[in-house]
Amino acid sequence: MDFLEKHELYACLQCGKCTGGCPVSLRAPLNIRSLMREVLMGGSPEVALDCPGLWDCTTCAICTLRCPRGLKPSEVIVGLRAELVEGGRVPKTIIDALEGTFKHGNPWGRARQKRIEWKGDTAVKTLSDEGEAEWLYFIGCAPSYDPRLQRIPRILCRILETAGIDFGSLGTKESCCGNEIRRMGETGLFEELREENTKNFNASGVKAILTTSPHCFNTFSTEYDLDGFKVLHYTQLLADLIKEGEITFSKEVNKKVVYHDPCFLGKQHEIFDPPREILKAIPGLELLEFDRCRERSLCCEGGGGRMWAEGAGEGERNSEVRVKDAHAMGAEIIATACPFCLLTLEDGAKTTGLEEEMPIREILELVAEAMGFDDV
Amino acid sequence: MDIIVCIKRVPEVAEIDLQVDQTGKSIKEEGLVFGVNDWDNYAVEEAVRIKEKHGGKVTAITVGSAESEEVIRRALALGADEAVMVTDPQADGSDAYAIAKVLAAAIKEIPYDIILTGVLADDDGCAQVGVTLAELLGIPHATLVTAIEIEEKQVKIKRELEGGMEEELVVATPALFTIQSGINEPRYVSIMGIRKVAKKEVATRDLGTLGLSPNQVGPAGSFTTVERIFPPPVGEGAQILEGSSDEVATKVMDVFQKGGVI
Repeated sequence: MDFLEKHELYACLQCGKCTGGCPVSLRAPLNIRSLMREVLMGGSPEVALDCPGLWDCTTCAICTLRCPRGLKPSEVIVGLRAELVEGGRVPKTIIDALEGTFKHGNPWGRARQKRIEWKGDTAVKTLSDEGEAEWLYFIGCAPSYDPRLQRIPRILCRILETAGIDFGSLGTKESCCGNEIRRMGETGLFEELREENTKNFNASGVKAILTTSPHCFNTFSTEYDLDGFKVLHYTQLLADLIKEGEITFSKEVNKKVVYHDPCFLGKQHEIFDPPREILKAIPGLELLEFDRCRERSLCCEGGGGRMWAEGAGEGERNSEVRVKDAHAMGAEIIATACPFCLLTLEDGAKTTGLEEEMPIREILELVAEAMGFDDV
Repeated sequence: MDIIVCIKRVPEVAEIDLQVDQTGKSIKEEGLVFGVNDWDNYAVEEAVRIKEKHGGKVTAITVGSAESEEVIRRALALGADEAVMVTDPQADGSDAYAIAKVLAAAIKEIPYDIILTGVLADDDGCAQVGVTLAELLGIPHATLVTAIEIEEKQVKIKRELEGGMEEELVVATPALFTIQSGINEPRYVSIMGIRKVAKKEVATRDLGTLGLSPNQVGPAGSFTTVERIFPPPVGEGAQILEGSSDEVATKVMDVFQKGGVI
């Protein structure tokens, strides 16, 4: 099947809903509607490979979700990137991310031995070398290595321990989930990661997997073949634990908090309520909403490989828009539930000069504060 | 324009605390990740680019253990046409001179116009194999090459000099060039690309097939032998500044000012 048939380009109505919803079309040289047409008329993906905005797409998938014909424009972008990958015509920063993942199991190319540095004093058993568990907690690359994020898994471990959840991790055997790798067009590498992780999941003896990141959650639940495994994002488990009274709060967080929906959690999986339920349960916390929230949430531009590619876009970044919007509505904190959103929004807070006024927090950090964990 | 490119499989050690092994003459390889030597990657890319522009054939050669097949396959996936792998345990412990002898013997049976190597290898950093090989083959060479332009029966190249200067040379072929990193932007080699060359033939050679005797390689055939390797002793004079980022920045400024740096 050729590229045009595979992506059903003949069925495109050119209605433009894809570009209308695209979070980068206004600031980057990327018009997905036009690109679909160009590939169709040109008869091959080759005609679109020089499009300067190809690496701007965040694969937020709003185009795919809104297409009235059920086409997948975001997958056309991934397909075009795959053509570039096979031809070796990839930006240097993307090459580094792909080679780092191939060699070391993470896109930052950090040493595998250091994958457990996030732990600090946190005791987490490694499955299955150090016993069995009910849950496998998949930490993810960014929380494992990024100094800003390393406390996030530490907090979650402490919460799980408090709630009496039996869990373990894969330790240094954990490798990149491949969600971003597939979206950067490296299908072969994605398949290898999927095979390796699946083998490790099976060997771990668990039947349930918990993720820090919506990106890992997405690929495990939709692109792996994990029959018999339950896969949850941490917000889903935490919301349940709060409802069941397994988690209780001892301190108030008297702040106005606006919640930013991560694309791979919200619009792609309709997990809108669990994060909000967690925030609402925190004593003293007043939950605000962006005008563009839930299905209409504005993408932070951290997905689809954008953590490793600046893109060709110019002008104000979406994360800056987000921070300014939050500031204008009187929010004191932006909370989110995704490592990439956290980092990109923090960048937005810095570049708009609102770093002091608009702190960005993982939901888990607010939960930790309300549970009285002051040393994580 | 037929090109031979010599490559080496080396460990990636940027973030690793290396351990000396029991012999005291090598490092523990357990848990290390290996790949193609960075300079050699530029050399393979340059060779393939020259071929794409001027035609001809690119042959990749490596000397090393059976695991070296991974870097040879990668070179094939990048665009090399043929591959030769010299594997012989008797060559273990060879220095740069002995390795150059092995390469020279392997190259004897392959027609070429130019030979490319990396400037040096990430692991031992000798920077000797390329120039020694040129000497053994009796051909001219140039080191630290940052640009190659093919002309009839000669090659115009640029070399990196000290102090930000460059030198332009015209070299008669056949010739050998050691390639500096940054000469090009090596393309990405995908997993699919590597899978596609999985069944491509890699010619294997050992000392016997190359007509070399064991005493020509290994420690016996080398000018140098490794006595021991060790982490350098901790010196004096290092200061660790502590405090918040602002405090540390102030202290650094203080040190710079007192030291006359600013």
